[in-house]
Amino acid sequence: MNAAPSSAAIALKSLACSAGDRTLLAIDELVVAEGERVAIVGHNGAGKTTLLRLLSGFMPPAQGTAEVLGRALEEPLPAAELRLLRQEVGQVLQGLHLVARLSALENVLIGSLGRVTGWRSWTRCYPPPEVASAETSLHAVGLLAHARTRADRLSGGEKQKVAIARLLMQRPRLILADEPTAALDPSAAAEVCHLLVKAARQATLITVVHNPALLPLLAERVIGLRHGQIAFDLPLARVSDQELGDLYRPDGGTEHRLWQAPSSTPSAIRSVAFR
Amino acid sequence: MTVLAPPPRLGDHFGGRLGFLGLALAYALLVAACVVSLLAENELSLGRNPLANLVKTAGEFARPSFVDVWFGNPQLEYRSDDGNLLRVENRQEVERNHLAALAEATWTTIRIATLGSLLGAILALPLAVLTARNLSAPRPLAWLAKGLLDVTRSIHTLVFGLVLVGIVGLGPTAGILAIALHSLGSYGKLFAESIETLDMAAINAVRSVGAGPVQVFFNAIWPAVLPQFVSSHLYIWEFNIRDSTILGIIGAGGLGLLISEATSLFQWGRLSTVLLVVFLLVTTFDALSRRIRKALL
Ligand SMILES: Nc1ncnc2c1ncn2[C@@H]1O[C@H](COP(=O)(O)OP(=O)(O)OP(=O)(O)O)[C@@H](O)[C@H]1O
Ligand SMILES: [Mg+2]
Repeated sequence: MNAAPSSAAIALKSLACSAGDRTLLAIDELVVAEGERVAIVGHNGAGKTTLLRLLSGFMPPAQGTAEVLGRALEEPLPAAELRLLRQEVGQVLQGLHLVARLSALENVLIGSLGRVTGWRSWTRCYPPPEVASAETSLHAVGLLAHARTRADRLSGGEKQKVAIARLLMQRPRLILADEPTAALDPSAAAEVCHLLVKAARQATLITVVHNPALLPLLAERVIGLRHGQIAFDLPLARVSDQELGDLYRPDGGTEHRLWQAPSSTPSAIRSVAFR
Repeated sequence: MTVLAPPPRLGDHFGGRLGFLGLALAYALLVAACVVSLLAENELSLGRNPLANLVKTAGEFARPSFVDVWFGNPQLEYRSDDGNLLRVENRQEVERNHLAALAEATWTTIRIATLGSLLGAILALPLAVLTARNLSAPRPLAWLAKGLLDVTRSIHTLVFGLVLVGIVGLGPTAGILAIALHSLGSYGKLFAESIETLDMAAINAVRSVGAGPVQVFFNAIWPAVLPQFVSSHLYIWEFNIRDSTILGIIGAGGLGLLISEATSLFQWGRLSTVLLVVFLLVTTFDALSRRIRKALL
C-alpha cells in the first residue's frame, strides 16, 4: 500500500517493559507505517497482549522511547493526554469486554464517549446523530435486530461483533485487536476478520492471532514474538511454515513453561479457507 | 524438590464418614447436656395446667378484638362482686379507638423501618467502598470499616434500641437509629459484595475509548452496581419492617407498644388483631419487594 514511512503510526526504539524485576518485552526497533495491516503471532505468554497494552497506554514503558500516533509515551503520561490518545486508538481486547447490563446499542454508543461530553454522556442521552450512527454500525455487523438486547444475553460471537461495532463508532486511527476471533466458530472468525479490516479501512490495524489460516485475511506483514523479543518481521508472502514452526517450538529448556502448539498446522496459511 | 503436604487444618478432621459420625456424636452429647441440666434445675416444667391454658388462650385468639367493632356489646356492664353497677362500656367504640391507634402505630412502624433503612444504607456506602477488596483502600481504614460493620451486625436491634432510648428518649427517633445501626452491617456487606463483582475488564474497555473518570463511572460502574444496590436495599428494608414491629416493646414507637400492652394485660383478642396487621404488613411488603427485585435482575 502507500505506506509513507515519514508518518509512522507506531515507532518503538530500544524499548523494554517490565513487571517487578521481570522483563516482559524487549524490542530494539519497530516501526509501523500509517495504514499498514500487521499481525502479531507468538506462543502463550510471548508478550503480545503486553505490547498492545503498551501501545494503548495501559502499561508504561520501563526503558526506551515509544511513539504512538505522534504522541510520545513517557513514563507518567498526563491523564488528559492519555485520554486523547485512547480516543484515537480503538481496541478489541482479549476476552469479551462489553458492559453487561447495557444494551447492544448502548455498548456501541460507548465508542462515541470521546466526542460526546458533559451531561449527555453521564445520563446516556446521546445526541440523535450519534444514535443514528451507532445503529448504522450495528447494521454493518448485522446485529441491528439485537440493538435493544442486553449485552449479557448475546452469544459470544455476537458480543465480539458488538465490540467491533463499537470500534466503527469510535472511528480510531489505530486499531489494536487482541485475539478478536478467540472462541468463534470458523465462519464467524472469518466474518469478524472481514469486519475488522473494513473498520480499519482508514486506519492502521494491528491484530494478535493464533490461527495462521486467518493471517491472509488480516495482515500484509507478520511479526513473530518470542519471549518478549521480535523473532521475525516479514511480509505475509515470505512467512513460511519454517518460521511459524520455530516460533512455537519449545527451545532448549532455558525457561520452564507450559504451552501447546496451535492445533492447526502452519501450512493452512496457504489455503485461505474462508471467503 | 520434595513437595511438602500442607499442614492439617482444623476443618480437615471433620471430613470423611468417621469425622461425620464424630460430629453427630458431639451434637447428640450437647443436646443431652442441655436437656439433662435443665431437668436437674427443674426448669423444664410446663406449668400447672398447660392444656386448659392453651385452650383458653387459643379461644381468645380465635376471636380477634376488631370484630367487636361490629358485633361488640354497645352497653357492656361492669359490676362488682356484690352486683353494683360500676360502669357501662360501649365495646364497639372502644375497639374503634383501638383500631385507630393500631393504624397510627402501623404507620409509625413503616416510618421507622423506612427511614432507618435509608439512613443505614447511606451510612454503609462509604464503609462498603472501604471494605470492597477490589478497590484496595488503605489497609488500616479497610480493617476499621470491616470491624465496624461486623460489630454493628452482631448487636441486636433491641439492644441498640434500649441504649438509644436512654440517649434520645422514648419514641420513633430511637427506633430509627436502632434500625439504621443494626442494618448498617448487613448493608455494608451486601454493598461491598456487589462492588466486588464489578467487571473490571469492562471498565477498562470503557476507559480504552478515552472516556474520563466521570464517564467511566456513569457508563460502566453505575449501570452494573445500581440494580444490585436497589435490590439489597429492598431486601433489608423488608427485613427491617419485620424487625421494627417489635421495637415498640422497649418504647421506641410503633406496633410493638400495642403488642406489649396486649400481652401484659393478657388481652389475647387484641394481640390477635395486632398480629394480623403485622402479618398483612409483612407479607404485602415481602411480595412487593420480591416482585421488584426480580424485575431488577
Ligand atoms: N502485570 C503483570 N505482572 C507480571 N507479569 C505479567 C504481567 N502482565 C503480563 N505478565 C507476564 O508477561 C508475559 C506475557 O504476557 P502476555 O499477556 O503479553 O502474553 P500473550 O503473548 O498475550 O499470551 P497469550 O497468547 O496467552 O494471550 C506472561 O508470562 C505474563 O505472565
Ligand atoms: Mg494475550
